[in-house]
Amino acid sequence: MEIKDLKTLIKLVTETDITEFEMENAEEKILIKRGPSQEIIQVQAPQAPVVAAPAAVAAPAPAAAAPAEAVAEDKTANDKYKTINSPIVGTFYRKPSPDADPFVKEGDVVESGQTVCLVEAMKLFNEIEAEFKCKIIEVLKDDASPVEFGDALFLVEPL
Amino acid sequence: MPTREVRQHLLRLLREAEDGHVSGAALSRTLGMSRAAIWKQVEVLRSRGYRIEAVPSRGYRLVEEPDLLTEELLRSHLEGCGIGERVVCFDQTDSTNIQALRLVEEGAEEGTVLIADSQQAGKGRLGRAWVSPPGVNLYTSVILRPDIPPWQAPQLTFVAAVALVRAIEQVCGLSARVKWPNDVLVDGAKVAGVLSELLADMDRVRAVILGIGLNVNMTREQLPETLRYPATSLALASGRASWSRLRLACALYRQIDELYRVYLDRGFEPVRLAWEASCDLVGRQVQVASGDDLLAGRCAGIDLDGALLLSGGGATKRVLAGDVRPVD
Repeated sequence: MEIKDLKTLIKLVTETDITEFEMENAEEKILIKRGPSQEIIQVQAPQAPVVAAPAAVAAPAPAAAAPAEAVAEDKTANDKYKTINSPIVGTFYRKPSPDADPFVKEGDVVESGQTVCLVEAMKLFNEIEAEFKCKIIEVLKDDASPVEFGDALFLVEPL
Repeated sequence: MPTREVRQHLLRLLREAEDGHVSGAALSRTLGMSRAAIWKQVEVLRSRGYRIEAVPSRGYRLVEEPDLLTEELLRSHLEGCGIGERVVCFDQTDSTNIQALRLVEEGAEEGTVLIADSQQAGKGRLGRAWVSPPGVNLYTSVILRPDIPPWQAPQLTFVAAVALVRAIEQVCGLSARVKWPNDVLVDGAKVAGVLSELLADMDRVRAVILGIGLNVNMTREQLPETLRYPATSLALASGRASWSRLRLACALYRQIDELYRVYLDRGFEPVRLAWEASCDLVGRQVQVASGDDLLAGRCAGIDLDGALLLSGGGATKRVLAGDVRPVD
């Protein structure tokens, strides 16, 4: 995982009430645990040392306002959740128009290719679609709020 | 040669003669058809609204072309223009952007343009409508498939705005200006807007659809009263009864074609410079209403991703959305 993604991940976990977050793919496993007062971030990626250079890991710390613990291990486990990210800088919209219903809400199951939100930049509207069938676990941004490139917009559970 | 192509060729020959006549014998030679067959095609063209004069011993002369937005007419004016390689026309549709999205999913190629005489659901920002009555304006969408990362896609909306300014100046001789990000003004009133769609993966643009609405011959009564910004049409701004939508559409496609090629060759910089040269606010003190915030500063142009640069107090701020107004 790229440092910026890890940073985003830690940030979004700390912004929620989630106390433990675990994710895994072929190369690495990431575990973020939130403790009551202490903040420890450990990253290990023995298979691919280039990934997650320890020096850079210090960077996410200030961003993590709430205590968080992240552990990336070279172990196989389930990566239950994934995120849907923004491909552009812009404004996040949950609804096609201000008085319409949101495209999706927490708990919804969406099909691959289904629109989950809009991101607008300079009146260029990007309809973000789910790339796989999944369940919306959490909407990570407020309607009409600014988003950066790569920001996680939804936490989802692939189905 | 299919009769449709024959007619296009015939039209080109008549247009090339400008105000002069082309003899039936010359047309017959060039097109490899009998004079009777040419007369028949001239009759077809007349039935479609072309005024073609026939003078014995001198030949045919094209007096006036109908201002219709048909595939045949548009294609006959867009030879060699990448934008408009394929033209899809609608008398009436929901929105050319919606139809373009559908065509993109079906694999429509770059340069495909859609144009409608009227729209039932013309779109503006935030669910607002773009008023689209029939017979008076241009409502068009242009499909591009550039090999660029998604974050650069907003740059193309500036290509559309600059192309609009140039097409308006070229056809109507009016001085048009851009309003950030991509509205076009004449005499301070909005005459055109660009609303675009991006289809992209995280690292790759699949398609950009430039949706363009240009108020051409709308009357004062046809302009909606509830607009947030003063609006006008080219006819109102120039005091002329009407302008040719066909000529404007073709000029617009050609200007987009030219600037898009420059963009692909040399990047955003030439587009940015052209946009800034068409913007009255660069260098001036402005106020930006962005969401609930009201920002103020000196307009310092646009950033690489099209964000408005606002300088003040030794810092430069990037603005991604909002309404800009001059305060000085």
